[in-house]
Amino acid sequence: MAADMQFDAIVVGSGISGGWAAKELTEAGLKVLMLERGRDIPHQTGYETEMKKPWDMPFRGVGNAELYEREYPVQMLNRHFTEYTQGHFVNDAENPYATKAGTDFNWFRSYNLGGRSLTWGRQSYRWSDYDFEANKRDGHGTDWPIRYEDIAPWYDKVEDFIGVAGAAEGLDQLPDGQFLPAWPLNAVEQATRERILGNWPERVLTVGRTANLTQPHRGRGQCQARSICARGCSYGAYFSTQSSTLPAAEATGNLTLITDAVVEKVDYDAATGRVTGVRWIDRKNGTRAQATARLIFLNAGSFNSVHLMLNSATEAMPNGLANTSGVLGTHIMDHPSTLSAIALMPGFEDVTSYGNRPTGVVIARYRNMDEMDGVGHTRGYSYQGGALQSGWTRGKREAGVGTDYKASLQPPGPWRVVLVAFADCVPRARNRLTLDRAQSDPLGIPQLNIDFAFGKEEHAALAQAKADAAEMLTHAGGRVIMGFDRPGPGGSAIHEMGGARMGWDPATSVLNRWSQAHDIPNLFVTDGAQMSSSACQNPSLTYMALTARAADRAVDLLRSGAI
Amino acid sequence: MPETPEQSTGWQRRDFLAGAALFALAVGIPVAGVTLSDLDERDAPTERQRLMMRLVSQAVLPATDTPGAGDVGVGDFVIVALAHGLEGTREPVGSAEMPWTFPEYQRPDGSLRYVNWLEATLDRSANGDFIRQDTDARTRTLAKLDSEAFAEGGDAHPWRKLKALILTGYYTSRVGGSEELRFELVPGRYDPVVPLEPGSRAWSSDWTGVEFG
Repeated sequence: MAADMQFDAIVVGSGISGGWAAKELTEAGLKVLMLERGRDIPHQTGYETEMKKPWDMPFRGVGNAELYEREYPVQMLNRHFTEYTQGHFVNDAENPYATKAGTDFNWFRSYNLGGRSLTWGRQSYRWSDYDFEANKRDGHGTDWPIRYEDIAPWYDKVEDFIGVAGAAEGLDQLPDGQFLPAWPLNAVEQATRERILGNWPERVLTVGRTANLTQPHRGRGQCQARSICARGCSYGAYFSTQSSTLPAAEATGNLTLITDAVVEKVDYDAATGRVTGVRWIDRKNGTRAQATARLIFLNAGSFNSVHLMLNSATEAMPNGLANTSGVLGTHIMDHPSTLSAIALMPGFEDVTSYGNRPTGVVIARYRNMDEMDGVGHTRGYSYQGGALQSGWTRGKREAGVGTDYKASLQPPGPWRVVLVAFADCVPRARNRLTLDRAQSDPLGIPQLNIDFAFGKEEHAALAQAKADAAEMLTHAGGRVIMGFDRPGPGGSAIHEMGGARMGWDPATSVLNRWSQAHDIPNLFVTDGAQMSSSACQNPSLTYMALTARAADRAVDLLRSGAI
Repeated sequence: MPETPEQSTGWQRRDFLAGAALFALAVGIPVAGVTLSDLDERDAPTERQRLMMRLVSQAVLPATDTPGAGDVGVGDFVIVALAHGLEGTREPVGSAEMPWTFPEYQRPDGSLRYVNWLEATLDRSANGDFIRQDTDARTRTLAKLDSEAFAEGGDAHPWRKLKALILTGYYTSRVGGSEELRFELVPGRYDPVVPLEPGSRAWSSDWTGVEFG
């Protein structure tokens, strides 16, 4: 590989935001190098288990528990991790990270082309000014330097390109978007929606807004209602880098993609105050390479972008790249989430559904909006879940053997509603990432060290969410059989974010309102690291919109000669 | 390789591989998936234990208008699954939680040798020889064990995990998944409201329903 590779721009990471950066920058005419630390997974031909049935799999789709315990002890906890999808997750044994004493953090990762865009939950929600004003309002964290009106046109652009199916509800806290036809609610969900609305008009249960195509869209096929998305989808029916942004970037002829390239450092020139390129290690053979560019976008994933910046410290920037503020690595977040309630829903014994809808339902946030009605917390929570009929696995909990028992497991099981709460995570300085100089990964790079704990606000929000969920489902005619109010370990929502926050003041934030480093004008960080607060919505759509917005800004600055 | 006491019980690795190949033939699993290269030889089953697991599986899910669990190789599936710790079966179990077990069936790491435990438990319950019982008697023996395991306070009873693996083996087999239940990998559409006719069979490909049981 040439040691003097020169590009207009380098994008580090090929996941949800990296794919968008590559698409936008190449479509603007820039010659772009996109680096991916993991292996290539080509669209369609790379989805090796997509069409497998359980009986085609060595461990019936359940997987080899002994192997998982040894090599995937964290990843195996991911809901989407199965024998079919294990190749889309990292091997934990080969990709270690450190945690501070007392920190329990599950860091779910996909080191492969497309990153977590292959395995994401596809829920796509706009944030609102309740979210962008949250820090200013209650004083936690730093004020966002943007508001909804700044990002709204970029949401439009992203939704139009990726395809988001959803129902318009006219809610200020969950703004409507450019939607494809919504997936329908099933009978139980429809009744639950109406019964909740009848008592609490501000609590709106609507179908989950998801990046699964309800009709053919921009050359991609319609969703086949399989709901096995994390295996990869040859129809291209959900948004991933492979199905959507990568083909667009490649069509320009301006993209160079290198996989198996673990970026180790970003080069910084103290004389010009600019970043000049990146260095990487080929993970297959250990060789080193580098490339230069006028513009660098970091999209390695929230924690890995921060890791790379910390590891790129120089004499001129001894605390890490673009870290004269000292806040790099701080204020990391993840949504505290828990199973708030499961309820049996009698009265629907004569109906079922057909096909696997690739989304659940959401109950939009309703707390701490115009009235501060949270108990012990100042922000929001919302629920995701749905109504489902239990499958054969219910038999594991039921007594019986023989013919009658077998017959009892033949029809669909009783309807149940599941509500999982996701709450805002308060940004706190003490929740932070550092480099662990004492421990290296197999490539010799210092490990990331995670120090994280939820605080009393998150616990209070989930306690109120549990009580509300039980109240709503009981009112809707259900019998609540279980509910929790304690969050899972940090990282469980797979919405880890922050660490290179946006802010108005270069003294207290890493990035400005354009996702651009205050310290280094040709460095942009447009993945989750840039987030100043967490909201309670899934964040990926916002990462995409901010990436498109930042790319547009960067191209303008390049063209004007400002960077 | 030096002779070990385990090998002298009749177990040879090649025997198991031959059994695995038959199993694979029966249920269509690649043989590579069920070889046990790292199996602790003390976990290797005797032929009697393989027969017992087949009979036990068949008693839990017998042949009806579709074949039973024993018919489709679930006995061997459970043995393979146990060797690889499915359903949490390699986790240590404390004797305080498990009044039904005896130390002689626990490994040094505290996990249970489920097959050995089951064999001893069923033989004891069957006055000496579970395998020699007739079909109805075996079903009664298992029903007794099952009701004990699912009685109040039985959460940690080892039978629950064995039964769970029997269910997994059956409903993820071609017969269990697509004949006893229905299977459609590519539904093609989502119909939110469909009348549920009496006698309807559930979809084993309803992944959410299976996940949330």
